[in-house]
Amino acid sequence: VTADRPGAAGATKVRIESLGVCLPEKVLTTEELMSRCRHRPRLDLEGITGIRERRVAVGEHALDLAVRAAERALALSRYRAHDLDAVICTSISKHHRPDEFTFEPATAVLVRRALGARNALVFDVVNACAGMLNGLLVLRALIRTGAARSGMVVSGEQNLPLAEAATREVRHSLDRQLAALTLGDAGAALIVDVSDDERHGIHHLELVTGAKHDHYCRSLPSPRGRGGILLTKARGLQRKGAEHFPAYLKRALDATGWSLDDLQHVIPHQVSVRAIRQGVKALGRYLGVDPPEIFRCCADRFGNTTTTSHFVALHDLMLQGDAQPDDNILLVSGASGIVIAHATLTLDDLPERYRARWGGAGAS
Amino acid sequence: VRRVRIESLGASLPAWWRPWHGSVAHAATAGRRCLAASRHRGADVGVLVSAGIHRDGHVAEPAIAAYIQHRLGINVEFQGRPTLSFDLLNGGCGMLNAAQVVGAMLLAGEVEAGMVIAGEANGDRRPDPSSAVPRSGAALLLDLAPRAETGFGAFAFRTHEQDAGLFTAVVSLAEPRGRLLIRRDARLEEAWLAQAAETVDAALAQEGLTRAGVDVVVPSQISPGFLARLPAAISIPAEKIADFSPDLPDTGSTSVFLAWHRLLATRPPATGARVLFLAFGSGLTVGAAVYTL
Repeated sequence: VTADRPGAAGATKVRIESLGVCLPEKVLTTEELMSRCRHRPRLDLEGITGIRERRVAVGEHALDLAVRAAERALALSRYRAHDLDAVICTSISKHHRPDEFTFEPATAVLVRRALGARNALVFDVVNACAGMLNGLLVLRALIRTGAARSGMVVSGEQNLPLAEAATREVRHSLDRQLAALTLGDAGAALIVDVSDDERHGIHHLELVTGAKHDHYCRSLPSPRGRGGILLTKARGLQRKGAEHFPAYLKRALDATGWSLDDLQHVIPHQVSVRAIRQGVKALGRYLGVDPPEIFRCCADRFGNTTTTSHFVALHDLMLQGDAQPDDNILLVSGASGIVIAHATLTLDDLPERYRARWGGAGAS
Repeated sequence: VRRVRIESLGASLPAWWRPWHGSVAHAATAGRRCLAASRHRGADVGVLVSAGIHRDGHVAEPAIAAYIQHRLGINVEFQGRPTLSFDLLNGGCGMLNAAQVVGAMLLAGEVEAGMVIAGEANGDRRPDPSSAVPRSGAALLLDLAPRAETGFGAFAFRTHEQDAGLFTAVVSLAEPRGRLLIRRDARLEEAWLAQAAETVDAALAQEGLTRAGVDVVVPSQISPGFLARLPAAISIPAEKIADFSPDLPDTGSTSVFLAWHRLLATRPPATGARVLFLAFGSGLTVGAAVYTL
């Protein structure tokens, strides 16, 4: 199907046909991580961020997390690996071996090889923590113009090396590497296709980069030693985010024809419990109302899992029984760049299928 | 049927008066030249995709595209018109992938103009001797073609992931500031040539075109030896293949469009000519795109 004119293809609605999330079994508490610091900063990180613990990958790497999540998504999908027309990998942490970051080949090639998705167009999309929503935007454009019928957006994040570098290098309680101690590991994969019901699917998806603010959060190899580091000006980042995201959030709701009351869940980027609370406050000030209690947070248990965080939260909501079929959801993301991203979507029967498949022993 | 065209093209090659231009600087220079030659203003650019592989300082986040957007001054504030910047990485095929993605966003009416930019440089202080990356930048501005039948047609990508190990680029984090290590296997060129014909077939079949209908092939300038063997591998005569390899090195993701830039400057094809862009990248992936001038 090729578009004859703009708008014709633009009307196609895509949906999340399947979701797979992989959370490593090993739990690492914030207390234990802080006690590993060479110079333990005099601050109560757990109290400040609300992050109690996170999952960490042991003996496996970012790629393995991505592949495990992708396999779980396929297990719940009507598509098999070779049906997928595209596999887009959006990981930031391209660790496939210890102390190494792989830029070529693209991680999506390696996921394709592991899954046997032999007909898939493959490439990586990298856009900091907005990666998966960005991948969704790219895949939607490919589906809308007929370049793909179904595809996968997949991400595996192994952030423990960043946290370990921070335990070696953090010197004081205002250190710019402190944010690295809030990260967690996870993998997530979405299978996306054309929605067969006008009510279900992604209604609105918008990402915008305010590149003037590209200095607030950077990840790069350490100049002092082994490994990569994450440098964050947390306060500035939060202030800029809070200043600008409510207008885009309102625009996303308006474009969908919703108000806050039409939503069952808002899933913000899981930076920390406190950051989410402050975001809600900023939104309240902007809208002049008290936002309802629909802002979901699982950062206390999983930390900030970067690109995968929205879908780790959705996984958690579905398994806890909070997410139901036909629920309206708003995803809000703020990422390094600064990228502000919003998506509104309505779930089909995914929560029921998800609970039926993973509700028992496979919960993690 | 509306198509997506390259409205403007910019290139940045190494120059002696700025020997330390990094990948972002090269990308921004190419982007500035591209915008200067365009009828669009920077603010019209709704999406900016960076396809460069090697990143200044090996930065993993934010997206390099955000740095480029900042340098080009395209809608850098949140107030006003929105621009999305992101990176698309797929080795030497990245710019073709990005052109397809931006094209899809244009056809779906999501943006009115988009840019595909790439810059390449090995930014290490003491680069690994076998991991040299010639410095360069290339930029495309894409919009919907005003005339029917002009612009990009079929895209085809073929990946042989069993050969993924023949070409790898990793940043070793074992030493401070990281170090870029590029490894090319001796069988690499052979493997690329072996999968070229199948990719060309796929693109031409989608477009309903025969090999005789192709007026010019613009390949990645891998090496003189590679380009000498390419005609036989894809069954297209050598005089139709743009070969600048003696003085244009393989610059990775920017290679195809630097060759296209050179071709337009030296012997531009006539209007209506059918061009076949042919990119060779890690993966191993070969990408082909038909373009009508």
